[in-house]
Parts: sequence; C-alpha cells; structure tokens
Amino acid sequence: MEVEIAYRPAHAMARVVLERDESIVAESGAMVGMSTNVQMQVQSGGLMKGLERMFGGESFFRNTFTASGGAGEVLLAHSLCGDMVAMEMTPTGYFVQSSAYIASTPNVNLDTKVGGFKTFFAGEGVFVLEATAAAAGKLVVGAFGGIQELSCDGNLVIDTGHLVAWDANLEYTVGKSGSGWIASFLSGEGLVCHFHGQGRIWIQTRNPAEYGTTVGRMLPPKKR
Amino acid sequence: MRYELKDKPDFTIVHVDFEAPGEQILVESSAMVARAGGVGMQTQMKGGLLAAAKRKMLGGESIFQNTFTSTEAGQDLWLAPGPEGDVEVLELDGSSPVMLSSGAFLASAPSVNLDTKWAGSRGFFSGQGLFLLKAEGTGPLFFASYGGIHAVDVGPAGYICDTSHIVGFTGGLSYDVTKVGGLKSLFFSGEGLVCRFTGHGRLWIATRNPGALASFLEPYRRVERGSN
Repeated sequence: MEVEIAYRPAHAMARVVLERDESIVAESGAMVGMSTNVQMQVQSGGLMKGLERMFGGESFFRNTFTASGGAGEVLLAHSLCGDMVAMEMTPTGYFVQSSAYIASTPNVNLDTKVGGFKTFFAGEGVFVLEATAAAAGKLVVGAFGGIQELSCDGNLVIDTGHLVAWDANLEYTVGKSGSGWIASFLSGEGLVCHFHGQGRIWIQTRNPAEYGTTVGRMLPPKKR
Repeated sequence: MRYELKDKPDFTIVHVDFEAPGEQILVESSAMVARAGGVGMQTQMKGGLLAAAKRKMLGGESIFQNTFTSTEAGQDLWLAPGPEGDVEVLELDGSSPVMLSSGAFLASAPSVNLDTKWAGSRGFFSGQGLFLLKAEGTGPLFFASYGGIHAVDVGPAGYICDTSHIVGFTGGLSYDVTKVGGLKSLFFSGEGLVCRFTGHGRLWIATRNPGALASFLEPYRRVERGSN
C-alpha cells in the first residue's frame, strides 16, 4: 500500500494505492473517489463501539475499502480545509484527536478514550482515539490549517483546539492554562493539554472551534 | 489572447492579456477582479432570457454573464472565483464537449457555446442539482472549484466519484448515479451516492466540498427565540 498526499497544505487529499485484496479503513464520508474494483463495506464493530465513537465526535460507522481482483486506488480527504499526514505505526502507537482521524490500515486497532471529566466541558477535542498496531501499519490524519510537528522534551503545553495527534508514550492531562480559573478564562486560552515526557506532537495551525465561532456569529441566526 | 493562472492551487487567479483590439472573453457574473481602463464590459443574458433563466435555475450559473472586450493590444483582465480553491483551464478543440457541474464555470472564449444539459432523473438523487453545463466549441474554458482540482484519466475500468466532489468531465464519459456498497451502506456509510463513470476521458474532482464546510459551521449559528 502506498499513501501519497497531494494538494498540500490547504486542500490536501490522500491517494491510497491498494494492491489486490488490500484494504484501508476510513472515516465515514472521507471517500472522494475510487477505482471501480474497490468494494466498500460498512463496519460499526457493534452498537456499543459505534455509540462510543459517536460520542467521540466521530461518525457511528467507519468504512472498509478493499481492492478486489486487482490493484485499485481510493481518494480520501478531510472535510475541512487543511493539511494531512500519513504516519507509520510505531510500537508505542498514537493518540489522535477524534475528528482528526481519516484512515488507517486494517491492522490498526482504534480505541475511543474519554479525555477526562474536565475535557467534557471544553467543547473541543473531548475525545481521543488510541491507535495501536502489533506490526507495521499506517495512520492518516487530517488537520484544520497546516500541520506542525513539535517535539516534547520534558513539558509542553498545547491548546486542546490545536491538537492533532501525539506519541502514545507521552503523559497528558487536560487542565486550565493559567494558575487560576479566572485568569485562564480571561486569557482566552481556555483549556490546554499538559504533556509530559519525550515524544512528538502534531498540532494544527488553526482551531476549528475558533473558526466556527468567528464565522458562526456572522451567519443569520436560527429561529426557534 | 494569452492567459496565466497565478497563485495556484489555493487561491488561483486568472490573468488575461489581450493581444489585439476586439478580443473578447465571456465571464461569470462577479468574477472580475480588475481590468485595464480600456477594457469594455457588456452585460447580457447570453442566449436570451429563456436560455439564461434555464442556466440560472438549472445549471446554477448566474442569469447574467459579462463580456469583456479589449480596445487595444496590451490591456489585461484579472478573474477569480468566489470560494478559495483552484482554477483549471482547458483549450477546447471542438472534438469533444466538457460537462461542468453547477457553479464550476468561470470564463470562456466567445467561441465556446454554453448550454444547460438535462442530466436526467438519475441526477435527482445526487444532491448535485439536476443539470450540468455543457461547453463545446473551440477556445479556452476556465472552471473553478472549492478546494484543489484533481484530474483522473478514466480508462476502460471506469471510476467512482462522490457526487458532491465532481467538478467536470469530458464528453467521452458517461455516468450513472449509484450507491456504494449494499443498502446498509447507503444509510450508514456517510458516503451517500456516487457517480460511476464509464467510457474514455478525463474527470476533474474537487478535493473539498463546500457542503461539508457549511455543515461544520451550522452548529455555530446563533439561536434566536421566536417573538411569540
């Protein structure tokens, strides 16, 4: 399997080239185009898994695309404008902010995690996926805006709305940005993720919720 | 007339250089960004009221289109579509028409004929509008999309594309609107309906679709309570 990302960074799209009988699992709605010999199958992995995902801000279902009878390709894209990255699976695995997930090889196990009670009120990146694989595999994530890879060596503080993914060996806690709740609120920084340890963190250069709030205010109000 | 596409692919703008007086280009309403002082503009309903109304109602284009005419060599004109994204240009040689999806048309030489084509009732469920704009003739045709434009050369095996991502395709291709996967997929996959292209030609696919942006923004709208 080859994953090639084109149209970077603003409108990135992944072209996944599948060999015969190879599959890729993708987020519902991510498929833009594909070869005619690629078969799509819906997988929910059971009601509970599906519900868990839905609460995680993802869709209830994921789709598996399989090339049958020969090689084939699938084009996958994020719904928002921004960059995409194809990551190689590592023994430690990754945490992925749930709405950043686009696709993964079938051997990647995806587990929805609740990021803690506090994050529930953050309204952003509440849930994360833990992606693990016993062997080599790929994970494709999408961002809103550009993607920067930061390296954490000790401590790093990141706005939850800018998180895309991080090495699973990093410890993280979600909390307030400043020393007190009032200062944190006034700073406009809201909730942040405190990382501890050594590893890589991928951030998105724009915050979807900030964007939504800015533009949403200008849209005609909904009547109730 | 010479032209150049600049700031590709995210914020593409078309720069047209007129090489002789009397040269013309037909441009979608509101797409002009700038023009030299000597370039004249006429607004018309191309093909008359009925054809224009048909284009507007059915093809998603505006009723009015503007024709820009140079009065001397060396004058220029800048054109851009509304949304962010790419513009592609195709030199039509008269051999095959090009079908553009709703709203993709940006500009063309006056020698390119534009007609709204009934896509048939199969288009009804595609959510893409029933109609395609058919461009045929000779000369450059400029079309635009939200996001990047990805070209696929469709061979004997055909190709499948999400209906909301189609920008356009050459006349050698025909399509059917179908669902991907089984009946369960239609409702649960989130992939909705797709176009299955067959034949021989080129297909242009948008890497983003504006509907997804609109759905993202919808929950951020303010809520206003009714006055009663």
